[in-house]
Amino acid sequence: MRTGGWHGWSQTLADAIKLLTKEDILPSGADPVLFRLAPALVMGSALAMFAVLPFAPGIQFADLDLGIYFLLAIASLTTIGVIMAGWGSNNKWSLYGAMRGAAQAASYEIPLALSLIPPILHFGTFSLLNATEQQSGWGGMGWYVFSDAFWVAIPSFFLFLTASLAENRRAPFDLPESESELVAGFHTEYSGLRFAFFFLEEYAAMFATSAVATAYWLGGWNFPGMTLLAEGSAWLPWLGALAFLLKAMFLVCVMIWVRWTLPRLRIDQVMTLGWKYLTPLALGLMVAAAGWEAWRAMP
Amino acid sequence: MGSMEGDALTPARPPKPSSFRRWWVNLYEGVVSTAQGMSITLRTFFKKPVTVQYPEQELELDGRYRGIHFLEQDLCIYCDVCAKACPVDCIEMDATRHGKELEWHVFTLDYNRCMLCELCVYPCPKDCIHQGEEYALVTENREDMVLDLLTWKGLTDEQKQKIAETEAAKAARDAEKEKGE
Repeated sequence: MRTGGWHGWSQTLADAIKLLTKEDILPSGADPVLFRLAPALVMGSALAMFAVLPFAPGIQFADLDLGIYFLLAIASLTTIGVIMAGWGSNNKWSLYGAMRGAAQAASYEIPLALSLIPPILHFGTFSLLNATEQQSGWGGMGWYVFSDAFWVAIPSFFLFLTASLAENRRAPFDLPESESELVAGFHTEYSGLRFAFFFLEEYAAMFATSAVATAYWLGGWNFPGMTLLAEGSAWLPWLGALAFLLKAMFLVCVMIWVRWTLPRLRIDQVMTLGWKYLTPLALGLMVAAAGWEAWRAMP
Repeated sequence: MGSMEGDALTPARPPKPSSFRRWWVNLYEGVVSTAQGMSITLRTFFKKPVTVQYPEQELELDGRYRGIHFLEQDLCIYCDVCAKACPVDCIEMDATRHGKELEWHVFTLDYNRCMLCELCVYPCPKDCIHQGEEYALVTENREDMVLDLLTWKGLTDEQKQKIAETEAAKAARDAEKEKGE
């Protein structure tokens, strides 16, 4: 990096300021209400997902009994925003992008939700906080992937990651954007701050889904050695939050790593993968997890 | 379904693999090839980047690099061979002969046209035109692309020193001659 300090760290800040000061463009022929509302809806739903994430003991905005249910519902709102953006832009590329986004989100929400069922069955709770607390065994290593149900946990973890890639419109499932054929897909007509909102939403949603995977599969804030801390130690929330952020950021890095590796799929390949492979696999895992938990619960 | 042996009308075909079997094969191949690709990108991630940050760092050039020309002006005999050899006719030279001495007026090379092909270097009988390692030719207008080779442009310090030595030797010889007279 040539300019912007050590490894160009200040480039990001400069980029944000640049996007803030850019001209606000509303294309003629665009639907003014939908066009303006779409980025706000997308950004708002991405931020709402953070409300139920259990960052550390005591650091959570709302511990809902139906936390994961709320999160899935809110996450699917971004798709509505994408459709609004595509329709409101009055542009064929945007519309194609939005249609693909809708098809993709509708298909992949099923394996996404189904792959969450094994951990939900294992912990017997929809609450992210409760699920995290149940993984504190073995000196902080009682994670779901290390539990006796690891043989269901590991495949369902990868299924969840794959489906969340499609849900967040990340490569190789970035068909709503697909620069090579749709210019920029649903956000072709967006510039400046509204464009920045779409991008921020993408990364915020990536972090949120990674955080869900962390809370359900990778033990949330639990880290090895946490039992060495005194009961009710003031360090626990800080170190727990650090562990949680490190795990979630690692999964975000994995998503970026997938982007380096895999080329974009065709739309029919995306549909095939979603309906013919991920959905049956997720269903099978659900049945396996249900059988295992039932067998374990037998007296 | 036709018979497996086949006849003139329905030739035998290899049996289709069952789609259930193919589903598992596809799944296996998809997972394995993704893992292979991910391992390749991971290995590349930990390699040192090959990108050269150009204005700060520069590539080390091979000795045979064909960059901007430089001329050993005192060796040149104004024979025009390099200008004749040039396929794009970019060398201009003009000088007046005073007996054995040359009075140079012009020796320019037009880098708007020059393709750095080195064809002017080979025919030189005195081996006095060379291509150096200097390649940055950034100007704001086309006129500046016509370089005057008489200004010793592009010579390395070593070459400059060599030229200075021969100049000094020449001056010493002249001084001796004058003494003798």
